[in-house]
Amino acid sequence: MIDQYFQKQDVMRRLIYALIPLFFFAVLLYGWSVLMQTAVVFAGGIATEYFFTRQRGKKISEAVLVTCALYALALPPALPLWITLVGIVFAVALAKEAYGGFGRNIFNPAIAGRLFIFLSFPVPYNAGWIVPASRGPQGFSGLFGTAQAAGVDTVTAATPLALLRTGEIPPLMDLFLGFRGGSSGESSVILILLAALFLVATKTANWKTMVSTFLGALTAAGAFFFGGLIPGLSPASFPGFSAMVPLAAYMMSGSILFVTVFMATDPITAPNKPLAQFIYGLMIGGVSMTVRTLAGFPEGTSFGILVANTFSPFLDEHLPAPKKKTRKIHPAGAAR
Amino acid sequence: MNAETLLNPFSLFFASIITSNILLSNFLGMCSFIAISKDSSSSNGLGMAVTVVLTVTTAINWLILHHVLIPLDLVYLRFIVFIVSIAAVVQMLEMIIDRVSQALYLNLGIFLPLITVNCAILGVSLFMEIRQYTLLQSVIYGLGSGLGWWLAIMLLSAIRKKTEKSKVSPALQGPGLTMITIGFMAMAFIGFSGMLAVQ
Repeated sequence: MIDQYFQKQDVMRRLIYALIPLFFFAVLLYGWSVLMQTAVVFAGGIATEYFFTRQRGKKISEAVLVTCALYALALPPALPLWITLVGIVFAVALAKEAYGGFGRNIFNPAIAGRLFIFLSFPVPYNAGWIVPASRGPQGFSGLFGTAQAAGVDTVTAATPLALLRTGEIPPLMDLFLGFRGGSSGESSVILILLAALFLVATKTANWKTMVSTFLGALTAAGAFFFGGLIPGLSPASFPGFSAMVPLAAYMMSGSILFVTVFMATDPITAPNKPLAQFIYGLMIGGVSMTVRTLAGFPEGTSFGILVANTFSPFLDEHLPAPKKKTRKIHPAGAAR
Repeated sequence: MNAETLLNPFSLFFASIITSNILLSNFLGMCSFIAISKDSSSSNGLGMAVTVVLTVTTAINWLILHHVLIPLDLVYLRFIVFIVSIAAVVQMLEMIIDRVSQALYLNLGIFLPLITVNCAILGVSLFMEIRQYTLLQSVIYGLGSGLGWWLAIMLLSAIRKKTEKSKVSPALQGPGLTMITIGFMAMAFIGFSGMLAVQ
């Protein structure tokens, strides 16, 4: 029954497997709101994809499931559901199907959809951050979204990036485990790292792009921090090695790690030549951190990805190909 | 004149290329951007031509504005005068390109004379007047805007080359998909907005 409508793609299935722990963790933090968001995203995304592929006489590619999963995990948990729906329909219809469907898109659909609703509905978007479950000395509290029921209807919570701007550094252990506010799936550093290991071990994602993206982000963040450009964090108050604390917090906040592992490695929107891929990664990291630090937006990773997507064909066209004639096929690209 | 004291030339230069890209944030110069970007060598040629014309005309227009129009109290004539001086520069550039590279001349076709009415060129001259730039700032702003336009058209032509092989629905082929692509590019560049001041 499933094979009748879906085109089987092993790479996409492995990506889904890698995202499942993040999804369960998001449910643990926010409960019903994440479940509802996810249901709306998958229904809207698959319906839109079906509408287009039916006309082309093709099956639905499993890539749309990855797009839906990434998009759902990148949203603020309490976003109004109709905005969620607008975003996923936009993502699948305009960022993907308008370009001819699977494998042809220039821009990452999940990111394009997220950025579209962020720019179109900034007020409800920024009111969508809610209080997650927390980890205290007495144990866990507010699991499965009950942190909301205790208080008013929706309590807007400050994300770690907003806290950092006021000079407050969230506990690093909370950031590492993921007990902090933000988009549904971006928070848990440890789960993202495990997913990265899984993706690299199964050759689903290119580890070089992950490394270059991380390097780009770290370099930019370090330069901004030591240049005293990050609002709220002055390098003078963290002498010597203690500077690692705010820097680590800055890197573990927001969605830069999530984006590094899941979005930067998307082989369709990334360039093909190794040198171009390296620069592409640096660009994602660098632009993300630049926008996060210097522009008036809460987070810059979506812009980082979209800017790098814009440059990707250009980099591929104008950078020299590797000298060795041994054709090294990208492990993930081979399956597409 | 606040602009003189506040604006650092380097930041103005980068602002005009990236953060306030004349094409992707002001949407000026769209017609030739869409028409020529099909092919990367003509894009390159047109980008170069626009950069040269922008730099030269902004400087000339600044001189005309500050040494002719303002002393004679004829500022209300600036639109006509700017257009005339742009037309003269483009005419000369056309003769030079015809002489130096026949292939590029044929490739650019109608769009070379049309640089005259490329809104980006007049737009930059008018921004220069509104923002009260000095001569140095005007030249830097003109050059930066030209390079930004050039960069944008090169990016778009690379993307269009990649989309050419795709099976795009007939309704969207050509300009339709290009408009959507430009929308995404502009969306990406919104991230830089407000990062560097231009005035």
